[in-house]
Amino acid sequence: MASFKKTQIRSLPKIGQKVTADTLYWRKLNFPVTVKEFGPIDYIDVMPIEPYFIAVSSAAKVQIYNPITHQVHRHFTRFKEAAYGASIRSDGKLVIAGCDEGHVKLFDIGSKSLLRIFKGHKGPVHRCKFTTDNVHVVSFSDDKSVALWDLPSETEIIKFSEHSDYVRAGCVSSISSDLFLSGSFDHTVKLYDARSPTGSTISVDHGSPVESVLMYPSNSIFVSVGGTELRVWDMLAGGRLLARVSQHHKTITCLHLASDGKRLVTGGLDRHAKIYDVQSYQVVHTLDFPSPVLSLGITPDDFTVVAGMANGLISMQHRQTQAEARALNPKQSLKVQKKSQTAYRFRLNADFRSVNRTFNPATDVEVATKTDTNFVSRYDMFLRKFQYSKALDTVLTPYIRKKKPAITVGVMHELIRRNGLKSALAARDDSSLSSILTFLARNINDPSHANIIIQVANTLLEIYESSSLTPQSEKLFLQLQEHVNREVEYVKHLMEIEGMLHILLASTTTQARRSSTYAVQGSPVKPMLPSAAAAANATMIFNVG
Amino acid sequence: MVKMANKKTRGPDKTQANTSDIVVKKLDDATDIVRQPPVFTNDSKYICIASGRQIGIYSVESAEKVHSLEEHTFDVIGLAIKDDNILLSCDASGETIEWNINNGTTLKKAPLVVAGIKEFHSFHYPGNGKVLVATPSTYTTNMSSLWIVDSHTRPRKLFADIKSTPHSIAFGCNQGNGSLVVVALQDHSVVVKDITNGVDKKHMTDQRKFTCVALHSEKLIMATGDISGRILIWHDFVHKSRPVKTVYHWHTLPVNSVCFSSEGEYLYSGGSEKVMVKWRLGMSRKQFLPRMGSSIKYIVNAPDNICVATSHSDNAIRFIDSTNKINRAIIGLVKHDPIRGFADTEPIKESVMPTGLVFDPRSHGIFFNAQAGFLQLFDPQKNSLIFNMDVANRNVLTDERNLVIGNAEVLRVAVSPTGEWLATLEVWSNMSAGYHDMNLKFWRYDAVQANYELNTDVTMPHQDRVTALCFQPGLLGTEMPCLVSIGRDLKFKIWRLVDDTDIYRQKESWSCDVAGDFRKLTPSALSFSEDGSLMAIAFQDTVTLWDPTSINLNTTLSHTLVQEPIELMEFGRDNCFRYLVCASKSALYAWDVISQGLVWKVGQLHSSVRCLVPDPKSCYMAAVLQNSEVFVFSPSSSKPVHSVPKMNSSEPIAALFVPRPNPLASGPEWLINSRLLIVDDQQEFLCVDDVSSAGFNQKLTTPISHMDSLPWTPFSAMKAEKQISAAKQLVPVVHQTSGIQGYKSVQSLLETSASALPPMSRICSLFMSDLMIKHGPKAVTAKVNSVDRTSTDLPLSNGHIDSKTQDFSEETTLQKLLTLDCQWLVETVK
Repeated sequence: MASFKKTQIRSLPKIGQKVTADTLYWRKLNFPVTVKEFGPIDYIDVMPIEPYFIAVSSAAKVQIYNPITHQVHRHFTRFKEAAYGASIRSDGKLVIAGCDEGHVKLFDIGSKSLLRIFKGHKGPVHRCKFTTDNVHVVSFSDDKSVALWDLPSETEIIKFSEHSDYVRAGCVSSISSDLFLSGSFDHTVKLYDARSPTGSTISVDHGSPVESVLMYPSNSIFVSVGGTELRVWDMLAGGRLLARVSQHHKTITCLHLASDGKRLVTGGLDRHAKIYDVQSYQVVHTLDFPSPVLSLGITPDDFTVVAGMANGLISMQHRQTQAEARALNPKQSLKVQKKSQTAYRFRLNADFRSVNRTFNPATDVEVATKTDTNFVSRYDMFLRKFQYSKALDTVLTPYIRKKKPAITVGVMHELIRRNGLKSALAARDDSSLSSILTFLARNINDPSHANIIIQVANTLLEIYESSSLTPQSEKLFLQLQEHVNREVEYVKHLMEIEGMLHILLASTTTQARRSSTYAVQGSPVKPMLPSAAAAANATMIFNVG
Repeated sequence: MVKMANKKTRGPDKTQANTSDIVVKKLDDATDIVRQPPVFTNDSKYICIASGRQIGIYSVESAEKVHSLEEHTFDVIGLAIKDDNILLSCDASGETIEWNINNGTTLKKAPLVVAGIKEFHSFHYPGNGKVLVATPSTYTTNMSSLWIVDSHTRPRKLFADIKSTPHSIAFGCNQGNGSLVVVALQDHSVVVKDITNGVDKKHMTDQRKFTCVALHSEKLIMATGDISGRILIWHDFVHKSRPVKTVYHWHTLPVNSVCFSSEGEYLYSGGSEKVMVKWRLGMSRKQFLPRMGSSIKYIVNAPDNICVATSHSDNAIRFIDSTNKINRAIIGLVKHDPIRGFADTEPIKESVMPTGLVFDPRSHGIFFNAQAGFLQLFDPQKNSLIFNMDVANRNVLTDERNLVIGNAEVLRVAVSPTGEWLATLEVWSNMSAGYHDMNLKFWRYDAVQANYELNTDVTMPHQDRVTALCFQPGLLGTEMPCLVSIGRDLKFKIWRLVDDTDIYRQKESWSCDVAGDFRKLTPSALSFSEDGSLMAIAFQDTVTLWDPTSINLNTTLSHTLVQEPIELMEFGRDNCFRYLVCASKSALYAWDVISQGLVWKVGQLHSSVRCLVPDPKSCYMAAVLQNSEVFVFSPSSSKPVHSVPKMNSSEPIAALFVPRPNPLASGPEWLINSRLLIVDDQQEFLCVDDVSSAGFNQKLTTPISHMDSLPWTPFSAMKAEKQISAAKQLVPVVHQTSGIQGYKSVQSLLETSASALPPMSRICSLFMSDLMIKHGPKAVTAKVNSVDRTSTDLPLSNGHIDSKTQDFSEETTLQKLLTLDCQWLVETVK
């Protein structure tokens, strides 16, 4: 036997930004805590192990921040001029930074002491990195060279001077201690292997000055940014271009991986940070900042997002914890809790799993009280009993009619189909009539519901036109009329604009036609051309569609 | 370049050879199973159902057909159980046949002799050799006279001018003296006759017309239903002139059927509300069984009181068990119920089967309308229903007493060339409110689930009625499918599948790509060339040719000779791909799209062309005229290769060329690969076919098996899959076969009657071997191995396995060596 089919509620997809898992995830970042520095923030590096200290290089100092307290944990100021590209070793004990005088300085985070100075570059060093084995350092300098240093002996092992402009970007492989990448303002990105001292193994042209490079953890793909473009290269195929993505409208300055390497984040001078999916390079979310972003840091657990900006601001955003979420929105979290409880028929209490406890069925098993799999909404219940007025009443409660107008419209539609609208609307008192009228006035402009609302409004007018109304409902009827008039006015305007567009498009198409000679066959059957207006109409709709 | 062919005044030429081989057959009318009320056998194990000229005996337990009885040459008008296993049937010509229910054999044939009357309306059998038959009334039309026929006495006329429906006559036994009481309905009165005592009574009520009557089997209680939905229970109506009446009134629409339970405690009633009401007599309690699918025509109670069978207008018989639940159903091909005005006026011709016949290349079935909002897929090869699909997915609404409440109606169907996509257009409209809904739905066939899944639902695809839907043929696998729709809102729209996949989910949906119009003219017909490279849309008398990919207007075709609006238009197939055949109200003509000229024209047809169908397997095309003349022609010339004269009074609705699974060995060229199927406004299927092909007649003799589609049960797993037989059997194509070992063998064992089975010892081994899972090559090698091992020096005479055995013998010697070695080892260890 056919069971009662639920009333179809038609909700059209919303136009605009779609709510995806990613937007929900990144929207959970709290309001940022900002710290003001003196100069633009050149580079931010996050300690790869807990407590995820953040090394920020700006002006003539390098500061290590605690991400939880937002306080400066350590600061290193032994630079004559600006310090650049401070980077923390993977064990979190040492920090290295380049500086304007061409030195690379190594500090101990624990004792704040300067341990090594690597001298040899003739220009400022903007980036420097520890290799994976933790005993070598790679430096990228404005003297167009890239050098590999030995940490214990403080000596230069190898130097590549292949670039023809400043080298302002670089990174090291996470697998091999011999591989590193450099990106330069001469538009090239080069891959070096310390085992082959003759020169770079791969060199690719990015097309604009390279601001940052990044190698994926798998070491098969690297990414470079510069200009407004992000380019993805295949390392195994000798530097084949895999993708070009241009989502920023100003220079992209920094690049970072997030969510265990599943997402890629770029920050740019257009004050946005874009988050990409690393498979498809589609933007899944955008973060906004008050000033051009120069550097980005994201802790490995995605808990903190740090952005350094051109005006010296550091913004630190934390992910909302569950306790915070609960405090912010107690109702919703309660609902979530309830849902998780009723998901199981029987459920063991969590603390039963702890040892040395005996099982007590009375307290340890929760029985779900109600299974609402076959939930029938109240309006369906009334529709099933052919109680049309009651069904309409249930969907005119303030919550449904304001928050979920699609349900109200859906039930009205069903009533029209059942030919029960008249009986549902008739003989209503003042208060219920006013709720219907306010609903109609509110939604009559909505094009997705308009045809049903108009039908309801017409029926309502038909029923109540001859009856005497209270001043209050009379006012509401007039209000509805005003809404309709406004809508008519609006549509008139739109049609005027459409007419103008038609003229413009028609004139352009006829000109195009005239220029291309349209050969007409000399047959007795004369082929017909669409009129200018018809052609314009077809093409215009085509363009829009 | 207009080349006018011989312009005729009286339609195409009819002089053709070999027309005598081609016949028009009515396709198996066994599909209508609800014309007569079904009859239960005395043991309530079987139910007998009359369907046209056939009688089917179905098992109540499984709802499966057990026997098909086909001896009648006219439609069966009544069934009755004579003795425990004897079925009595009567057809419209008055021939009665007695059947043995157990084995389906004919026992006796006898004609009814009633005063020289040759036509009969209904047939009842009260018992004791007495027969009640209704014959056409002499003076008033649509009324009957009731006669009683006895073997000893002359036929006697009981009543004149009674209603002719089967449930307006009832009979029962007067418990007091055992006399036969017969009641019959007239429009406003009930006439009663006690045959033995000769008592005559006529009871009248108010102005409400009676619709049905039933008599209690034990007491003298009568129940009548009327058009206002009221049921009256009459007590002691034989003797009293003003009998006591009880009123049961729940129905708002006319009561179609009333039925007492065999113990007489309950009364069942049903009508167009699609609700069966179970009344407890003498009490106010009643039970309901709502939403039964479609309106109830007859209710029949089983003698053992365990189940009730209801016949529904959607051509289904449903069995309701004692817990008031439907547990089984016998479902036939559904006749489309056209939209009617109030009080069952004549249906509007336009609304009968609006989808027409649409061929599904995936299942080789035909899609057409079922009940409102449903679509059915019919298999023309097996003459069976494949499935019935709910397109609208809404509650089926019933009419109110003074109000017709329409349901959504499927108006257009299109199937993509691969069968993967199905597009349906459903419309619901309320004339009085001036409101209508239109939904274009795209369904995708899911091969795993074996059903159609809704992909996209477009509300109001056009502002006005949609005239045609058509998928673009000839697309490569990589191209996105494309659908074109034309509507009365002067627009044609092109819908394309859009890949909407993003990183979160995979999704494809349809969206409107282009909406265009042409000089603000109404598009009336649409056709794609066979390879899909050209789209033709007819706007009144003008044909426009478009490039479907770029939507550029290539050419327009019009001529002063053809100025009537085009109603139908089709491209030729095969080697006639360049011809575009158009049909207007009185003319049929063809364009050549390459030379852009009119090729031929046939004017002044007898009546307008109703359908124009191309054969997908050949270049021929058929034009079916409104007066049911059929012309088959090749689009390259106006001369028909075959013409069928006016068949009957009915008007054709739709036609289709159905491809044959196996081409004919001989016959006219246009019939080799397909046959022509025509549906008339009574929804009867007619088939234009060659005499030699008996493909569709074969099916009638073998009982239909539904077992293959039954769900898996532990017992069914024990059945053997096939029975060993030397004769090669044609295995019909079965949809959704679940492969279970040894199934067929068990089935054949169960189906054969026990008396006909060979001794158990003979069939046991065969049966068991059927149940076993066979592994072909493995079994052979094992066998040879074992032979080798037992007697290695046995000479094998079989030549072609010699090489194999050599290998095996080598193996065995190796094994021997191994065993020897082992023995030696064992010995040494010892």
